[in-house]
Amino acid sequence: MLLLPLSASANVALVASLNLAEGVQLVSLILLGLIMVASALGVVLLSNIVYSAFLLGLTFISISGLYILLNAGFVAAAQILVYVGAVNVLILFGIMLVNKQEEFSVIKNAWIGKAATAAVCAGIFGLISTMVLSHPWAISTQTAAGDNAIEIIGQHFFSDYLLPFELASVLLLVALIGAIVLARREFIPDAEVAQATSLTLPERPRELVAAGARDDR
Amino acid sequence: MLNFLKQVGDYAKETAQAAKYIGQGLSVTFDHMKRRPVTVQYPYEKLIPSERYRGRIHFEFDKCISCEVCVRVCPINLPVVDWEFNRETKKKTLSHYSIDFGVCIFCGNCVEYCPTNCLSMTEEYELSAYDRHDLNYDSVALGRLPYKVTNDPMVTPLREFAYLPKGVMDPHDLPAGAQRAGRLPQDILTELEAEKATAEAAIAKDNTP
Amino acid sequence: MNPGIDLQRTVVQALIELGLPAGVAKTIWLPLPMLLMVIVATVSIFICVWLERKISAAAQQRIGPEYIGPLGAMQAVADGLKLVFKADITPAKSDPWLFTIGPAIVVIPVFLSFLIVPFGQNLVITDLGIGIFLWIALSSIAPVGFLMAGYSSNNKYSLLGGLRAAAQSISYEIPLALAVLAVVLMSNGLSTIDIVNQQSSYGILGWNIWRQPVGFVIFWIAALAECERLPFDLPEAEEELVAGYQTEYTGMKFGLFYVGSYVNLMLSALIVSVLYLGGWNFPIPIATITGLFGLSETAPWVQIISASLGIVMTMLKAYLLVFLTILLRWTVPRVRIDQLLDLGWKFLLPVSLVNLLVTAGLKLAFPFAFGG
Repeated sequence: MLLLPLSASANVALVASLNLAEGVQLVSLILLGLIMVASALGVVLLSNIVYSAFLLGLTFISISGLYILLNAGFVAAAQILVYVGAVNVLILFGIMLVNKQEEFSVIKNAWIGKAATAAVCAGIFGLISTMVLSHPWAISTQTAAGDNAIEIIGQHFFSDYLLPFELASVLLLVALIGAIVLARREFIPDAEVAQATSLTLPERPRELVAAGARDDR
Repeated sequence: MLNFLKQVGDYAKETAQAAKYIGQGLSVTFDHMKRRPVTVQYPYEKLIPSERYRGRIHFEFDKCISCEVCVRVCPINLPVVDWEFNRETKKKTLSHYSIDFGVCIFCGNCVEYCPTNCLSMTEEYELSAYDRHDLNYDSVALGRLPYKVTNDPMVTPLREFAYLPKGVMDPHDLPAGAQRAGRLPQDILTELEAEKATAEAAIAKDNTP
Repeated sequence: MNPGIDLQRTVVQALIELGLPAGVAKTIWLPLPMLLMVIVATVSIFICVWLERKISAAAQQRIGPEYIGPLGAMQAVADGLKLVFKADITPAKSDPWLFTIGPAIVVIPVFLSFLIVPFGQNLVITDLGIGIFLWIALSSIAPVGFLMAGYSSNNKYSLLGGLRAAAQSISYEIPLALAVLAVVLMSNGLSTIDIVNQQSSYGILGWNIWRQPVGFVIFWIAALAECERLPFDLPEAEEELVAGYQTEYTGMKFGLFYVGSYVNLMLSALIVSVLYLGGWNFPIPIATITGLFGLSETAPWVQIISASLGIVMTMLKAYLLVFLTILLRWTVPRVRIDQLLDLGWKFLLPVSLVNLLVTAGLKLAFPFAFGG
């Protein structure tokens, strides 16, 4: 008799907490979706390339938020580490090292290109959305792996996805070695730097300016 | 293969050496932490300048004969001597004298060469001003005597290292009569005088019989 | 394993007994540890600044701050207040939006990383399964903030400083992650709680520093570089770059960079103490002590004492590492940018890879000692 009201109240509390969590999840989903769509549009539409790059980072972060909502913490963290921390920073580096403001000459009938792009994009969007709407999605009834995801991912990597995993790592290795080969400069032979006396610093010999014989004036 | 292994071994050795040196450096820094701070907390504590300190120059108007030796010996001809020739007395009368301490290098040549000793060095070093022209001292400003550190009730005077007793490193809380290391000039003087007196006495003794 | 004190369960239970529904009780509990952690992180800035100034002064035979607060302890607060009240200037040709967001992006991930810092078995905001990996992922966001600040200032020094900071950050992240990976390999889990529990069996002898001495050194060097502490502070090298990406900043935006750097230092020290120095463990296991005195480990007052001891131990280890950093600051001269990248890519990276390989081999060979 004593247990009954307690369990009932606990039940009510459970429902309340569930509602709270669901509400938070729904609001986060809507917010993240809005941020993602807006920033992705910004990446494409803004003319300032630096803004586009930063907004790309925001898009990646909101996608990782969606992963968290899907109970895939590891994928979310990996998304941030790889896409924001590496890819996006690399893009930003590229932009900032080659940051030359250039005024492009106005091309006549530039709107044709833009219109064509818009049409193609709208077409692809329409195709994908009809596909999404028409496909009979089989929603998995299994609960998400949650914290065990790391082990499951690892098992997949070393069993049925071994070949793609190894291929990807070989590809990265090839890129790494290629980068080293490109970056490596041949050493300048020591003979070129003739050190005549021990007291002169190894620097480019300067042209001596004869007094009163300035030919630049 | 062996060559490669040797390279790796050398590299490891170098790394260990570098780590050792960083460790030594750390121990030196750590050792410094145990030492007493040498800070003089300036507005509340001040060092007593040494007796041959070359600070702001003091000028006595009445002693000056407007000879302009100070201008000539000055590396940059800095002192401005404004005088008029008095035909009746056949002497120069000084009307203004000024030194710009924003330009002065405090070499002390003027003080050294002044024939009437009207220039002298003081121990004043706090010459900061809001306007650089404020550092151009005229004869009145030059004639002011500085306020001594030891007389200022707001300030704890501290002795410099050379004036501390032998083996003492901390100028705070010295005993009252603590004398600096070595003999003081007046001691040397009295000693010399005593020697001289005994020598004279000996000569007088030799001469009397 | 003794679960230790569990504040969440206790508080929620107490609130339910007061008559609140469980959902509300949990909602009331939720922000409390986060708030506490933010306060701890913020206060640690002041402590770190004070320690830095006092220890630097001692190393140079000075006195350091003395007049504001007892022993000058309030100096950092005064400096912070000054920064708050300073005029907030945005340079004329800068990019105002990026200029404002930049410092925030540097600071937010650092504070977020405190989610996974444990001070006891249950004294942690969340025991995430990905644990330490969250910290690695979050610390990779900071370069974006540096680049943003550097670019938006519209100043060559700032841009160069930002690029340097980002380059340094991403190159030292790799040895850092590899050193962490070796520890994770031994503890069979990314969770910080698991990592500490795996070290807790034999007191000081069980700490990871004995099994991972190379990893410890690599991690500490890389963490210093991540925090941009001397000898790796060349993004802000005063002599060459004025102040790097901070050049154009004033007021609290400038302060935010300082907040970020000091909290990051504290965070790195805490994580080192978790990964290598046994986290909240006392050098002698608590169980041994209680067994010696014939006490019950589950007695409430023993639990409270051991929990507070755990917090004190974690803090003590972290501040010991902060002390080491400050000492290192006055010992080692700043490296050049090429030396920095050489050290990162040609020394730390191969050594950490070898360390990982050796750890894996040892784990296979001696599973009892290396967490089989």
